[in-house]
Amino acid sequence: MTTPTRETLEVDVLVVGGGPAGLACALRLSQQAAQAGISLAVAVLEKSREAGAHSLSGAVLDPSSLRDLIPDFEAQGAPIAAPVESDRVYFLTERRTIRFPLVPPPLVNHGHVLVSLNQLVRWLADRVEKAGVDLFTGFAGQEVLVEDGRVVGVRTGDRGLDRVGAPKPGFEPGVDVRAAVTVFCDGVRGNLTKQLLARFSLAEGREPEQFAVGLKELWEVPAGRLPVGRVVHTLGYPLRHEEFGGGFLYGFPENHISLGLVAGLDYQDPLFDPHDAFNRFKRHPFVTGLLDGGRLVRYGAKALPEGGWNTIPRVHMDGALIAGDAAGFLNSMRLKGIHLAMRTGMLAADAAFDAVQARDASAERLSSYQRAIDAGPVRRELHPVRNVHQAFGAGLIPGAAFAALALLTGGRWVRDLAGHAGHSRMRTLASYHGAHLAAPGHPRRPEADRQLTFDRLTNVHYSGTAHREDQPGHLLVDTTFCTTRCGPEYGHPCIRFCPAQVYEVHTEADGTARLQINAANCVHCKTCDIMDPYQAITWVPPEGGGGPQYNGM
Amino acid sequence: MTLVVMEHQAGAISRASWEAVAAVQSVGAGEAISLLLLGSGMDELAAMAAVRGVGPVYVVDDPALHTYTPDAYVMAVRAAVTALGPTLVAMAHSYQARDYLPALAARLGAPLVSDVVGLRLEGGELRFRRPMFQGKLAAEVRAVGESPTFVSLQIGAFRADAVASRTTDGGSAPVERLAVDFTGFTNRQTVEGPFREARQAVDLSQAERIVAVGRGIKAQEHIAVAQRLADALGAELAASRPICDSGWLAMDRQVGSSGQTVAPKLYVAVGISGAIQHLVGMKGSRTIVAINKDPDAPIFEVADYGVVGDLFEILPALTSELNKRGR
Repeated sequence: MTTPTRETLEVDVLVVGGGPAGLACALRLSQQAAQAGISLAVAVLEKSREAGAHSLSGAVLDPSSLRDLIPDFEAQGAPIAAPVESDRVYFLTERRTIRFPLVPPPLVNHGHVLVSLNQLVRWLADRVEKAGVDLFTGFAGQEVLVEDGRVVGVRTGDRGLDRVGAPKPGFEPGVDVRAAVTVFCDGVRGNLTKQLLARFSLAEGREPEQFAVGLKELWEVPAGRLPVGRVVHTLGYPLRHEEFGGGFLYGFPENHISLGLVAGLDYQDPLFDPHDAFNRFKRHPFVTGLLDGGRLVRYGAKALPEGGWNTIPRVHMDGALIAGDAAGFLNSMRLKGIHLAMRTGMLAADAAFDAVQARDASAERLSSYQRAIDAGPVRRELHPVRNVHQAFGAGLIPGAAFAALALLTGGRWVRDLAGHAGHSRMRTLASYHGAHLAAPGHPRRPEADRQLTFDRLTNVHYSGTAHREDQPGHLLVDTTFCTTRCGPEYGHPCIRFCPAQVYEVHTEADGTARLQINAANCVHCKTCDIMDPYQAITWVPPEGGGGPQYNGM
Repeated sequence: MTLVVMEHQAGAISRASWEAVAAVQSVGAGEAISLLLLGSGMDELAAMAAVRGVGPVYVVDDPALHTYTPDAYVMAVRAAVTALGPTLVAMAHSYQARDYLPALAARLGAPLVSDVVGLRLEGGELRFRRPMFQGKLAAEVRAVGESPTFVSLQIGAFRADAVASRTTDGGSAPVERLAVDFTGFTNRQTVEGPFREARQAVDLSQAERIVAVGRGIKAQEHIAVAQRLADALGAELAASRPICDSGWLAMDRQVGSSGQTVAPKLYVAVGISGAIQHLVGMKGSRTIVAINKDPDAPIFEVADYGVVGDLFEILPALTSELNKRGR
């Protein structure tokens, strides 16, 4: 069958990704156009079926960017759950809970608000559509269109392919959306930004990106467990000193608690299991006391860019800009990224608008974006803490000491710390556990009581994840080393770091191991793309519309 | 001139074709529109078309057109277009049109605008509105290139009852036969009789008894063990996701959130651990029997009767006992 001609859509600015960065960018563009009294064609591509369905965060929002974008956001009915009333930080040991006498300054959330990112994004999407922007939900960007070394748009994914990639009746080839400027806001480890990083060498001279994975649950609990507006962060158990991360518990209205565990994707123990750690977190007496008798409402997982300032790639090139989590704009010290995603989205909008007006979308013209980042609140916030995540690579205690030093000195010291790509820190079973440990097959049966703790598959059910079954796999795995090397050396870490049981290793009748990929379970967290020790997994978008359904998350 | 190719089935002109006529009339400013009918033994249908008084009816009547084939239709419409010289050729965006119209337009090197939902004139030039992005966006396009422009019109986008008679006296329009020489024409398609596709999908929702197998069955060849139990019970065979995922049973036998939801009188879960994704598809069953090696398997939480043990021992014993008693 010959490929039918593709549809082409021409716009002035294409925004890829309808999260906080992309929507802030689109709204800002429409504001700019309205102010200048010109018409500007802006389109947003979003892979989820409804806006916000794939948006997951804690979330404590620093409303500074939102206020700059929509000054009267409260009056316009922004879904703010509650203002933050009080902060607590605890250090957990296996049985004990030690309260920090002082809340470290970066974790003071006075003036911040609790939100469901899902609801906030849905609300923002509504503003964006009302402003006349075309928001195409259910369409994933599959490929960056590059001509003569410049980005000219994005090709969306084909629809109606079967398992082996053959067109079914009703097949529709992807659409080429062409734009003067394309703004990539495809989120943490975005599949298109990944293409750009390689193609334009955008990460040259930068530190390797660093990531963490966050697992979150939303619970409805008996009254009086956690005051509304209470923000709790925990350090220590279930993570060991060598593992970066911590827990969070936020008090939402109507007896809802948002809780989660963030674990650095630079752990060394190949048997470390973030999902199991999350269950152990919930079994800690402090957490159990808050959840006991309640019920799980929803589950989700998502990677976070944790590397900070020195890992942010070049964010402008001929015809394109990168904003938000895709470029790593997140403050891991304050555990906040939404406001930076929105801020960089808005700054990217300004640069894109200027480029469209000047009919010059060269990298040079678009570098006004980088200058705006350097001159404003983004650098002011991120530069002083640029080495913090890298310092935690040495362990919790040195990391914390370093973080304190960074605060005291404003981050001024002689030499920046070098980091390593997180996956390269994973050690082999033999190196970490010694030769006595035989390569394990499957992880031990999770201690899930299905009241407080759950196995992965049950959790996936609570993420609302659905994909059309009859489509090509969207996790491209090079299985060359899977059973011959990765199994013996690392014990198949994919079956542990995936929070959604996409990966399973089965022993066949003849005793050989076989990797089974349950792509339909995928919650689009990108952990496998990041953490595979051989970097053999590539996440590509499934057919538009598939994925989790993070209502209220 | 504008030519509308009329589709017909079982001795009637399709409603969608009249919608196509209404569509082009809406921008025709009273201009007569010619209709084209293809087929064999077309006198009656031609008269039915003519009586609407839209405009002259041209007929290509040939045994080669008795049953639709893309080759014959491409040839016949091409000949009609060459003879009549229309600037616009319209038809319903039917399966037939989707099948042969792209080939026809390509043969003539002429533009084709498909699935059109609106037309308007701008400066004497036609603009076509068509959906993009699964209908999330409507694009307005114009045709460039050789005449004629081929257009297919989305079914249901126009009102067939808006078709207006254009004859001065309200009477029938003339009918004219177009001679197309089919000698030397080789049709690459041979047509077999129409048939209705057998309903392949197993409708598990109607089954009174179901035996469902899960991963505990271990290998595809063992499914026969469960099949024998299903036969003894007069039950349908179903499965949990991993079984269908491995291709051991067809997808339409999958029970659960990504398969069918069932509520039989009897549900026998064999080697199924009872992941929530499976439970949501079967927990409405009246009586649930679970057979599983693992006493902690969640399936026992919803089971009315549970057997902890090796299915390869239990199933044959159960089957032979059932067969002894008859059903």
